[in-house]
Amino acid sequence: MARAPALTTGLHPRFHDRNPGPDGPRERDDPMIKSIPLALAVLAGAATAATAQETPNLTIYTYDAFAADWGPGPQLKEGFEAQCDCIVEFIAADSSIGALRRVQLEGDTTDADLIVGLDTAIAGEARQTGLFAEHQLDLDGLSLPETWTDPTFVPFDYSHFAFVYDEDVVSEPPQSFEELIDRPESFKIAIQDPRSATPGLGLVLWIKAAYGDDAAEIWEGLAPHVLTVTSDWSESYALFLDGEADMVLSYTTSPAYHVFDEDDHSIHAAMFEEGHLAQIEVAGVLESSPNKALAREFLDYLASPGAQAVIPTTNWMFPVVDLESELDPSFSDLQQPSSTLSIAGEEITANRDAWIDEMLNALN
Amino acid sequence: MAPPMFESRHSARASHLPHRPKRVIIASTLAVLIALLIAGLFANILVTAASTTGGTLRTDIWHLVRMTSIQAGLTTVLSIAIGIALAWALNRLRFFGRDLVIGVFAAAIVTPGIVVAFGMLSIWGRSGWINSATTYLFGESIGNLAFGLWGIIFAHLILDATFAARILLERLDAIPAARLKIGQSLGLSPWQRFTIIDWPAIRGSVPGLAAVIFLLAFTSFPIVLLLGGGPANQTLEVAIFAAVRQQFDLLGAVHLALVQILVCSLVILAAAARPPVPISTGVSTGQNWHDRGPARLLQWGVLGLGIAGFLLPLLAVIFDGVVADLADVLTRPTFWRAATTSVVIGLSSAALTLILALGLGLGRAASARRTLRLGLGLPVFAYLAVPAVVLSLGFFLSVRNLGIAPAEAAPIVVIIANALLALPFASATLGPPLEGLVQNKAKLIRSLGLNSWQQLRYIELPLLRREVGVVLALAFCFSFGDLGVIALFGTQDFQTLPLMMYRALGSYRSDDAAVIAALLLVATILAFIALPRLFERLLDARS
Amino acid sequence: MLVLEDLRFAYPEQVESYAFTMEARASEITAISGTSGSGKSTLLDLIGGFAVASDGSLSLDGEDLLPLPPEGRPLSLLLQSESLFEHLTVARNVALGLPNADRKAKQQIGEALEQVGLEGLEDRRAAALSGGQKQRVALARTLLRDKRLLLLDEPFSALDEETRAATRQLVRSLTRQQNWITILVSHNADDVRALADRHYVIRDKRLEQIPVEPIARSS
Repeated sequence: MARAPALTTGLHPRFHDRNPGPDGPRERDDPMIKSIPLALAVLAGAATAATAQETPNLTIYTYDAFAADWGPGPQLKEGFEAQCDCIVEFIAADSSIGALRRVQLEGDTTDADLIVGLDTAIAGEARQTGLFAEHQLDLDGLSLPETWTDPTFVPFDYSHFAFVYDEDVVSEPPQSFEELIDRPESFKIAIQDPRSATPGLGLVLWIKAAYGDDAAEIWEGLAPHVLTVTSDWSESYALFLDGEADMVLSYTTSPAYHVFDEDDHSIHAAMFEEGHLAQIEVAGVLESSPNKALAREFLDYLASPGAQAVIPTTNWMFPVVDLESELDPSFSDLQQPSSTLSIAGEEITANRDAWIDEMLNALN
Repeated sequence: MAPPMFESRHSARASHLPHRPKRVIIASTLAVLIALLIAGLFANILVTAASTTGGTLRTDIWHLVRMTSIQAGLTTVLSIAIGIALAWALNRLRFFGRDLVIGVFAAAIVTPGIVVAFGMLSIWGRSGWINSATTYLFGESIGNLAFGLWGIIFAHLILDATFAARILLERLDAIPAARLKIGQSLGLSPWQRFTIIDWPAIRGSVPGLAAVIFLLAFTSFPIVLLLGGGPANQTLEVAIFAAVRQQFDLLGAVHLALVQILVCSLVILAAAARPPVPISTGVSTGQNWHDRGPARLLQWGVLGLGIAGFLLPLLAVIFDGVVADLADVLTRPTFWRAATTSVVIGLSSAALTLILALGLGLGRAASARRTLRLGLGLPVFAYLAVPAVVLSLGFFLSVRNLGIAPAEAAPIVVIIANALLALPFASATLGPPLEGLVQNKAKLIRSLGLNSWQQLRYIELPLLRREVGVVLALAFCFSFGDLGVIALFGTQDFQTLPLMMYRALGSYRSDDAAVIAALLLVATILAFIALPRLFERLLDARS
Repeated sequence: MLVLEDLRFAYPEQVESYAFTMEARASEITAISGTSGSGKSTLLDLIGGFAVASDGSLSLDGEDLLPLPPEGRPLSLLLQSESLFEHLTVARNVALGLPNADRKAKQQIGEALEQVGLEGLEDRRAAALSGGQKQRVALARTLLRDKRLLLLDEPFSALDEETRAATRQLVRSLTRQQNWITILVSHNADDVRALADRHYVIRDKRLEQIPVEPIARSS
């Protein structure tokens, strides 16, 4: 079918291990099969309610891949339940924006106590909804490319946006946007639509942060090299792996997957002289939650070394604390950008649509 | 002089129809229910939209409508033309593997667009088979033809032209042997044979087919984004998605959705308003009249191009899956759970689709009044015209407003949504033969005084048993697990094979994705070969 | 003269094959009768080339017909129904009998229609004709084609008594006038009695010639 799948793929590219094998997280029941015991549970009525009162439920909205068997979700649930005497339930929308939109649609009636998986580009808009409460945590110990001062959202992983190439195909990658523009037209990149994929929006912001008012010129220069603009990260990345594009808009952490899982050392992120923009993934407590204290406890756990150790090889992003020797070598060997660019959240919220239009017009 | 004569003939024929008020009532009820469902989805969005702050709509709607119409129009015209040529060639030629070719062609339309697009790239892309071959042989590549407007249209043709070919071939294969004998003994030229014998048999199916293909291309999403090369070739559907997701502008999205529905309605009206054309059904025996000379060469040429253009990309999908780690995927319990879920969803949706298609189709065929026929024809397509993101939003809000936990309602919503999505294709397959049959057999049915049930049991189902099988295969495969409609429902445990494939693709595992895509395609092809035959036996009047 | 000599054919699941031996002469109507399913239509298919014989011979005036495809055999076909293309006009249907439509065609079509008593109906759609009219249009087409052989498969069975008699009369006079070898397949005894100059019955997959009743000769 030609149309609906775009919704299922998710707006948010996620990197996760694929092998939920025997020693992986425990299998979940199919909800269709589960419905009979569920009906019995409803019949059991009072007993269930009593249990629920004793053990509080923490409901977390997130994106699909975070909660998946091979994502960080199951291990985080296990880790937090061991210390909180509560039950953690992940409810996954197709994407992080989907999770936010669901909370917006549900308003005060939402079941969610927390959202996990928004990023800094959307955080400003999320804050403006007024649905989020402050985290009240001390986050001084974090190790991030920028100093964290946000009172609402707690960061839990990050990576820089970057163009990824295969050294067997591209022996000398461009080292700046301008060098990329000067390549012959046959040098193709696959990028994502800023309206549907977070790296796509990330590239718009990255170019804006690096070139300001000249961003439109950069886009016009890039236009002949743009093989296509896909709705999701996954499609662009597949085009790259299939050899249709020389480089793909992805993350500096992408090569870690190929090293860790495939022992393939030929995939690299091109380092650009302009510096790179970081995507920082965040979590926030909802104002409407009756379990705000518990939710804050979870945020504290999420930013702790115990939970952070789970993140790199399940979510394929850098942890926000220094794991030192515990960080997998596939990550510690990664090339890091010389400098990190950033744009203030309020500026993004105010100008995002205009910047996206600028990009769309330049490519038209 | 001709039109009034035709009209009078038409109404004279219509009055011969057996009197079937119950069928008309059932069909009308179904039509109203579908309309109410869609209206309900919109109403729920509007109620919520009123309480949100909408953004400002920044889309140049008419530019988008124009661009999308050009793309969809080209796709439609080419799909029908190529579909006729392919059906013509396949009807005439007999060769080893013909059933398989037909099965693969039929499977294309229900294959996720993204799979087809990547299959096409495997053949025609920069690193595809063709470029590798020409580089190896001549040191020269043909370049990359797979992106831009023509890339989109090519990928759409793989889906739609093959679907057209499959439907039209069914009509050609049903041409009565007597008519062919007369034609053959008259020594009709291949061209005369086409215009005099073939065209009257297929023309009744063309408007419905064209409408379905236009709507598919008009609302196409992932293929357009994957192969479009940039925002220049985007569709209205993409803009609506952006309005909902990026800007959370629900009113704007409803506004855009209504524009899309309006444009689609014009196409639907044009198709649904066509008078029925009498046609034959089933497979007639003794079709062994082969054209000779240049026509036969042309048929082999068409078939060769069809195989290179449309079959190879799909075979490439299977090939890529087989060379990837098949055993690894097959030994995972998650795979088998996803497969089971897919089959359960697929079977339920297929049953619902058949009920809806038969219910609406029988009622439409039984009604002589033009307006009523039109009214019963519209809801078939309605669902296709509504943007997918609006549907997913509408279903989510409706379920919540009904006080049901979204995750619990998810399977039912998926079954309903998929059945409605498959309905236009089911109706394009079943509708024309149902109407043709009633026109042809009306006198006989009336003279025998058959009741509605007897008519269904002894005439319609047995004569349409192949079509019933095709409809079930179509709906089953369509519903294998497209979960777009429950994107917001929070059902990470509810996994189907296509979703598993997308998840693998979204997590660097292109090998896993390749294996699942191949298995999906193989299952689809098998369903298309097996189900029509199974139902040919099951519904045989002799049994 | 059309001669079938031990012409054999078997359907896939059949053990015993049909074996047909018969003769049919010019200006004569040779009737074939037999119970339903006895193989009457199979015989016509074999002569027409729609079924391929496994053995035996089929010749017309000494010329072997077996290698020829249906469109290459010098014959015209008239079936119970479906003889015409209903969406075409009468004139177009008749014109299909001409090798190429030149200026003379219109006049020829008019003459042929006149011969079968349908003058002036050129522009009528075939679908709008009665059963008898349809068969007469088909005969007009046969007239223009003017092939040696005319194969008739239950051509009168859908007609009422009166039309039936008139159409029979037309078939007989055209056969005589055009010197055709006409083969009539019918299970209707009246048709056979009224038309047959020569009569075969199919029994146990073989043709048996039986004497023609004198009434037929005199009427």
